[in-house]
Amino acid sequence: MTQAKKIIATGLSEAEAIERAKGGDAEAFEGLYGLHKRRVYSLCLRMTGNTAEAEDLTQEAFLQLYRKIATFRGESAFSTWLHRLAVNVVLMHLRKKGLPEVSLDEALEPQHEDGPKKDIGARDNVLAGSIDRVNLGRAIESLPPGYRIIFVLHDIEGYEHNEIAEMMGCSIGNSKSQLHKARMKLRDLLKLSRAEKAARH
Amino acid sequence: MNCKQFQEVLPYIIETGGNPEEEEHLRSCQACSDLVNELQYIAEQAKLLLPMHDPHPRVWSNVEQSLQREGLIREGRTPRLGHLAVITEAAPRRAWTPLGLGMATAAVLALAMVLVNFPARQPGVLQGSKGVSAAVQQPATQFEGEDKALLGEISQHRPEVSSAYQDSLGQINSYIADAQKAVDADPADANAHALLMDAYDQKAMLYEMGTVRSLD
Repeated sequence: MTQAKKIIATGLSEAEAIERAKGGDAEAFEGLYGLHKRRVYSLCLRMTGNTAEAEDLTQEAFLQLYRKIATFRGESAFSTWLHRLAVNVVLMHLRKKGLPEVSLDEALEPQHEDGPKKDIGARDNVLAGSIDRVNLGRAIESLPPGYRIIFVLHDIEGYEHNEIAEMMGCSIGNSKSQLHKARMKLRDLLKLSRAEKAARH
Repeated sequence: MNCKQFQEVLPYIIETGGNPEEEEHLRSCQACSDLVNELQYIAEQAKLLLPMHDPHPRVWSNVEQSLQREGLIREGRTPRLGHLAVITEAAPRRAWTPLGLGMATAAVLALAMVLVNFPARQPGVLQGSKGVSAAVQQPATQFEGEDKALLGEISQHRPEVSSAYQDSLGQINSYIADAQKAVDADPADANAHALLMDAYDQKAMLYEMGTVRSLD
């Protein structure tokens, strides 16, 4: 029986599983792992773009969870608390690797080489209504790391700019600027992908 | 205000709205209006991206071993995946052949998180997780065949989770459709095939969980 179904089949609520895990119940912890592994792993994979790193970080996140679960007070939803823990694990790892820092000057003088392309003039190749999530997922994977992190945190995981700024050690303005660049890059990638498909057919 | 000026401030106003001059430019400029619509559309679609990937089973093995090394759990205490003892508290499972258990398993963990917060027979409010929007609201009338039968049974036996099942089933069907499109576009794309299989796996898990929950 899978770990997630264990919790469901036993009639344990997640709250009960958490309390048991706090008391050192390894089976309850395994059940929590089963419930949350996919979301944690998907987050790690989206932020790093690397399977091996994502596995290591997922492992580290759950080890930290086991060590810290006694401190969970229920002030937020467990999934939210775990999610934030996982994000911090990933960010710490990326910092050690040399996370691409968001330039403090960028808000004042956008860099020309990767600034948003100015859409002035002809209306062409409108994107809205045509994205499928498979292509969007692939496009996100091919974003530069700095853009991908902000995009994943804001548009996929739902963090606000003030939270991202605190986590990333940048300003709210920089977070907004990076997010905008990420979306513009995705827009270009998706349009290119669509054009390539059209050319093949 | 011209387009260049508008697009320079766009990152800072796209979510909160701009001043009257900026709003007026947006109303009057088709190119900038299209740009804003597309960027917002990308953001909306991103919210619908479900967690799609499970970690390799070795991740749990490594967690287990680390906890044993640290002395936090005893060796052999935590059963390995697939070798768990019968859960004594579980209600006896009755076969429910009409739905044919064994379709596929997929983006159901989000639903599982909802379900474990619903003790038997208690109404409650869904706890949405951060970043997941209301997503695809596929009306019940648009489900057919076995999907319709599943939702019918769940709404009869567990009405308090019926909406969550409907949402999840809608999302999974949408994923299957997207993945199928990718396969149809390029039949040689192994990644697209893998995504399609994964989407079907998730649907099977949804069916299986629906069966377990409805047999209380």
